[in-house]
Amino acid sequence: MQRRYRTVPDLKAHESARALAFEDAALAGKLTAMGLLPGTLIEMVRSAPFGKAYYIKADGVRLALREEEAASIMIDV
Amino acid sequence: MRGSGEKLVRIALVGNPNSGKSTIFNQLTGLRQKTGNFPGVTVDIKEGRLRFPGGREAMLTDLPGTYSLYPTSSDEKIVAAVLANRLDTHFPDAVIYVADATHLEKHLLLLTQLLDLDLPVLLALNMSDTAAEIGIRVNTTKLAERLGIPVVAISGRTGENISKLISETEKLISGNSDRAHKRFYPLSDVEKHVTEAVCLNLGLKNQYQGLLVAHHHGWLPFLSAQHRSTIEAIVHDKDFASLRAQVDETLDRYDRFTPIVQDAVQHPPQFPSTPTDRIDAVVTHRVFGPLLFFVVMLLVFQSIYDWSTVPMDLIESFFSNLNIWLKALLPAHWLTDLLTDGILAGLAGILVFIPQIAILFLLVTILEEIGYMARVVFMFDKTMRRFGMNGRSVVSLISGGACAVPAIMSSRTIGNWQERLITTMVTPFISCSARLPVYAVLIGLAVPAKRVFGIFSLQSLTFGSMYALGVLAALASGFVMKKILRSRELSYLAIELPVYRMPHWKNLWLTVWEKVLAFVIGAGKIILIISIVLWALARFGPGKAMELAAEKARLEAARQHLPEKAAADLHAAYQLEASYAGYLGKVIEPAIRPLGYDWKIGIALIASFAAREVFVGTMSTIYSIGSSEDDVALRQKMKSATFDDTGAPVYTLATALSLLVFYALAMQCMSTLAVVKRETNSWKWPLAQFAYMSVLAYLLAWVVYNLFQNSAHL
Repeated sequence: MQRRYRTVPDLKAHESARALAFEDAALAGKLTAMGLLPGTLIEMVRSAPFGKAYYIKADGVRLALREEEAASIMIDV
Repeated sequence: MRGSGEKLVRIALVGNPNSGKSTIFNQLTGLRQKTGNFPGVTVDIKEGRLRFPGGREAMLTDLPGTYSLYPTSSDEKIVAAVLANRLDTHFPDAVIYVADATHLEKHLLLLTQLLDLDLPVLLALNMSDTAAEIGIRVNTTKLAERLGIPVVAISGRTGENISKLISETEKLISGNSDRAHKRFYPLSDVEKHVTEAVCLNLGLKNQYQGLLVAHHHGWLPFLSAQHRSTIEAIVHDKDFASLRAQVDETLDRYDRFTPIVQDAVQHPPQFPSTPTDRIDAVVTHRVFGPLLFFVVMLLVFQSIYDWSTVPMDLIESFFSNLNIWLKALLPAHWLTDLLTDGILAGLAGILVFIPQIAILFLLVTILEEIGYMARVVFMFDKTMRRFGMNGRSVVSLISGGACAVPAIMSSRTIGNWQERLITTMVTPFISCSARLPVYAVLIGLAVPAKRVFGIFSLQSLTFGSMYALGVLAALASGFVMKKILRSRELSYLAIELPVYRMPHWKNLWLTVWEKVLAFVIGAGKIILIISIVLWALARFGPGKAMELAAEKARLEAARQHLPEKAAADLHAAYQLEASYAGYLGKVIEPAIRPLGYDWKIGIALIASFAAREVFVGTMSTIYSIGSSEDDVALRQKMKSATFDDTGAPVYTLATALSLLVFYALAMQCMSTLAVVKRETNSWKWPLAQFAYMSVLAYLLAWVVYNLFQNSAHL
């Protein structure tokens, strides 16, 4: 399946990409306040033991995001 | 909360979560702090006195950590509500803004919002020592120049430059800081129109305050219904898209302060792999992560039992000796009884919990301080979501193992109302430390001290099952409530996983001190009052009933030629039966007989509905062995107890197990209900909680009693 962009859950462990934009205004409010902005370098660290959540680094800051939160962040291909 | 005489200058401590704000608060105030409860609002704000070298004082308020004035959880809302209202009693005269120097580029958003509120602000760069260690160099002079506010590099942990922070703060409130900042964020056209209309209507002078009111008019507590609808009309009329505007404003602010940070801060070329990454590779590992969590939990509960035995024994024997000494010293009078069997017994019942509560809070606070709890939230978010809760609920449920009251208060970090409500509703199912003595007596009474497979003791297995029963009941009710409530409100996980670090000892001691004090004063008051009331109920009876009972006992003893000791016991038993307590117990006996309880247990149940920890004390009083004696004496008395009518033994295995289940599940804590009322702002939820927990407890206790009724007696 070809898409014009990917989202954070598409990243493999230790893969990095830059955030482009957000798909949801409410989640964008929360994420930008925490310092995750368009242009931020996102590194996938690992997914949660029981799934549905991701451990990422945003410009070196460690964050835990839920599936929906991670999927609302569009990243470059 | 106002000081007597002249009004104290109020300084607020503001910053992001994990900025180390509370360490600085503790450094600045030490033991001169307290947590205030403010009626009407569900707010707990920590306050303390800040003493300047010249002898002047100021009131320092520690506001909850937040990333922005656009909040997503109720503790973040507190900050926005205080800062958006100049008439709020907590509105500060000046602000100390605490930022993490190691991530300055992410920590200045909220600061720029404060600048627009025209508050005198001082920037405290915390963790400056760590920043220097990893090669981050901050030019504070340049930063101060560009932001237009004083900047102090400090370390809350080592106390470095704290005295400089204090002297800069004094300059700030005296108006001697020579810096002056400008408005940071220029409003868009729509924002300008909306803000002007809002400011005009509410008589506000500050533009940004008007904008905040426009964004938050739906929930800000200080707005009247009339103002709310006026603002609603303005927002609607001007086509103001609040969410979109918030994001645009946030991004614009970043665009403006990022160059400032880049100019003033020098970073090392790249982020090296740190110990935190290596630790997390194990701690959040797919398999080792959850495994480690269960080992940690086991160790925590093991430590609570192991470390608390000696201090608890010391406290008990101290009170027992004091009681004996006082009884020998003072004349035999009901006032003496009140002092020894009423007040001292009640005090002992409170103080004996302190070791367990202190140890549990010590351990939970350590886990939180080193950064482990955030990982637990991350790992178990999905699991908890299945039961209608949030990863953050794990922290509440674990703290519930000590006491539901602070555990429920810790659920404020959950943004989603439904998830927070469910956490609040099910946390009391977790076996708290108050149930331990009840379990100890009943298990010692009913469960044989045998070993299974040669390793596990049957008694500790039963103990474990009681905890498991609590967790199971909590999760199952969460699951059911999720099905019933259903909400479409947004729920967030998004949490920062802080760098692992050693706990700060001063923080630990202050937290433990604060929680223990809260227990002793909060729950302790109730326990003490109840034990006095109980003593009175058992000591006095209606009309001449007590005199008649005494006469009857004397005649009966004489007829049977009983020895002195047996006569005294008989006298006590007749007296109790004739007392108000005996009367009450008999009234409810028909209702509890199906569970296998007699009127004596009835008395204990009535008492326990206020606080379950009084069970042991009540049973001791009922069986007239005095609360000063140990469990063994009580167990022997209970073992020989029989039903008054049938003469059958009361404490069969079936009755004991049924009582255990009842105590594990029933809502028997007035303090918890009071806190739930405060946190949910309505009587509906605590009443519902009381009803469903009691019904569940009654039904399951009934089932257990009937299942075991026909099995072996003791």
